[in-house]
Amino acid sequence: MIKRVVVTGLGVISSIGTGKGKFWDNLLKGQSGISKVESFDTSNYQSHNGGEVKDFDANKFIGLRVLPSLCRTSQFAVSAAGLAIEDAGLEGHDFSRSVVSVCLGTTMGESRPIEHLNNELAQGKSIERLDVKNMGLSFVNNIPVNIALEFQFKGRNRVFTTACAAGNYAISYGLDLLRMGASDFVVAGGVDAFSRIVFTGFDRVHAIAPEKCQPFDKNRKGMIPGEGAGILILETLKGAKTRGAHIYAEVLGCGFSCDAFHMTQPLMDGIFECMKNALDVSGIKKKEVSYICAHGTGSVLNDKAECGAINKIFKDQRIPVNSCKSMLGHTMGAASAIEAIACCLAVENDVVPPTINFETPDPECDIDCVPNKAREQRIHVALNNGFAFGGNNACLVLKKYDENE
Amino acid sequence: MKSKRIVITGIGVLSGIGIGKDIYWQGLREGRSGIKDITVFDTSEFKIKVGGEITGFSPKEILGRAGLVDLDRATTLLSCAMKFALEDSGIDIDKSNRQRLGISAGTTFANFDSLFEFDKTCLIEGPACVNPSRFPNAVINSPASRAAIRFGIKGFNTTISSGACAGADAIDHAFHMLCFDRADQVLAGAVEAMSFRMFLEFYKSGSLSGLEAGQPAVSRPFDRDRDGMVLAEGAAVVLLETLESALNRKAKIYAEIASVASNFEPGCFHQSGDPTEGMVRAMESALKNSGLGEKDIDCIFASANSTKDADAFEAKAINQVFGAYSKKKAVSAIKSMIGETLGSSGPMNVAAALGGLERGFIPAIINFCSKDKDCDLKFIFQALENISLHHVMVNCFDTSGTNTVFILKQYD
Repeated sequence: MIKRVVVTGLGVISSIGTGKGKFWDNLLKGQSGISKVESFDTSNYQSHNGGEVKDFDANKFIGLRVLPSLCRTSQFAVSAAGLAIEDAGLEGHDFSRSVVSVCLGTTMGESRPIEHLNNELAQGKSIERLDVKNMGLSFVNNIPVNIALEFQFKGRNRVFTTACAAGNYAISYGLDLLRMGASDFVVAGGVDAFSRIVFTGFDRVHAIAPEKCQPFDKNRKGMIPGEGAGILILETLKGAKTRGAHIYAEVLGCGFSCDAFHMTQPLMDGIFECMKNALDVSGIKKKEVSYICAHGTGSVLNDKAECGAINKIFKDQRIPVNSCKSMLGHTMGAASAIEAIACCLAVENDVVPPTINFETPDPECDIDCVPNKAREQRIHVALNNGFAFGGNNACLVLKKYDENE
Repeated sequence: MKSKRIVITGIGVLSGIGIGKDIYWQGLREGRSGIKDITVFDTSEFKIKVGGEITGFSPKEILGRAGLVDLDRATTLLSCAMKFALEDSGIDIDKSNRQRLGISAGTTFANFDSLFEFDKTCLIEGPACVNPSRFPNAVINSPASRAAIRFGIKGFNTTISSGACAGADAIDHAFHMLCFDRADQVLAGAVEAMSFRMFLEFYKSGSLSGLEAGQPAVSRPFDRDRDGMVLAEGAAVVLLETLESALNRKAKIYAEIASVASNFEPGCFHQSGDPTEGMVRAMESALKNSGLGEKDIDCIFASANSTKDADAFEAKAINQVFGAYSKKKAVSAIKSMIGETLGSSGPMNVAAALGGLERGFIPAIINFCSKDKDCDLKFIFQALENISLHHVMVNCFDTSGTNTVFILKQYD
């Protein structure tokens, strides 16, 4: 009998709020987290808006002794993990007899120290004069390592760098570890700090919307880079019940595919295969699906391909589909993890968050995108789409927890 | 979950000591050193000029002329290793199998140089001057994704970046994906490419050999006078599949993965603690998962990379795990020949162990001069030939505290 795995804790750092309560309230209100970029000078860029987290105070979460050695991405990750652990009722829990694994997804990793060192090199600073204390901080595996150090977790420690779908990859691996019995708890999720390099890459190809992110809208003008972290506590149903934990949702499985087509252009067939695979591995019928948390970047090609795939699978079913990126922008490696948190809360509360900034329907995105206003409705199964750079697709399936099953 | 038997049926390697598995194995048997003057970037500002660079390979000959322009060095190396592994396995990719073939790649630094070059242009010339076609290479899943595009591989595509354990963890991941029936076959492995930006981080952090004036850079694992690692590049990919799939297609089976164990040790190097406990736990779990005892292991392919602490801790951990047997277990350290290939080091070590199992040898630890009292094991200084290996342990330890251990066994 396959072990059932549930989500029992949520931690989120986002441009619309830190902590699941504030995040969820603002998500349902349709609050935008997009504002003028402040972490670097954008005057030479075409676009100037981003989804930066502006009210984050690392001191609230991380001790003074540790803080100086953590860069922004690690700060997000450790803080979100702390929030999730607290939310799961595991604060102060004695983990010494448990195997706790950390599975984290990210696109750019510790982007700040990388960019800092690049700055110094570009200014012509000689190698001998570069500051030693910055070395090694940019290694991407520092991020899950910092979580494990903070909480003394001795299980597997993984960082998945499958770009913008990385969060789903990490959560899926957490699910596998629990099913195998290789972990008692998994701290899984995704994180990215606002990256100048990402902003430059997208800005250069005119992929950033100048003002707002408008997924599925006929006049959508692109994505908007963002930052944040989403961490989920996963454990077996048995473990959760034994300790009387609150259960948000059950994790059923994750579908994968690779477009094997293009580094930056999405492919409808690849997305279709991924979503179909997700339903197959989860043993879910199409009619059971009641909400799709879209990848929905707001780019012309992504939204068209994603809607095409959704319609190819679900045909006449009008399943509510929202894009959290309309509010948060694209938080890169954090995106599918933050969106998995949105799915958990949607499944728990029977509300679908909206797609904001929606004005004009696009016949090429013929879906019910829950325009501008959250919608109350019963949600049984939610699909969480995450599609990455290089065509690395992953679709996570979450289900309302039913204790009678 | 019913556990499946997972076997290795294809190997592809590019290393400083040779290209292709046969030349790689030959180099290991001969005790060849892959350390040479670095040519891929200008070393004039560095005191250390050498590394384990891959030379004499022509991407055009291996991959064909098409589509090479956009590939950076890491992507090229990984694509070549995958091509070799695919050819070696005898798998032809077509409509019938491409959805069920997965990729699990490890790398921690593959994108460092592309990232730097892209960012440097932006900083010096302005964001309008960056070449957008160079942006994908700045994202670290580019090597695995580009390989998927090149070979038309449509199953899951994972990149893992857990430091020096990245490649070992990628194989661990592939192993689990096969156990959960997410694919029929997986190309699992890793790449790190020599680059200025990566070299810089290790050079400045003081972990390289040869930083002391008058000292040459030498990789001498477990030696009393070891003074750091010699940085290297490498790509190694193995084809993993279920035993059932291998038997169905009558594939040549190199070995079976008897077990994998992976963990993290918070009492690690960073905190000046003792990471031995994590290494011990990893080796003990691997033994337990494989159902084998200490005495069954014929040989250990150590992770040792010639740094002061890491080698001593590993030696201590091996002593602890193998107890009375530890003086009898043959221990080899291939990083003495190929250098520290970081994220690739796990798969490079696995590929070496597969050679040992297949051809019946244990490679020597080269450059060894003086015995260290903190490293007291049965080190192999002269390659052992014509021996029959049944069970081999392969260690992969990262200084951050991540530990991954494999036990490979002769397929029976």
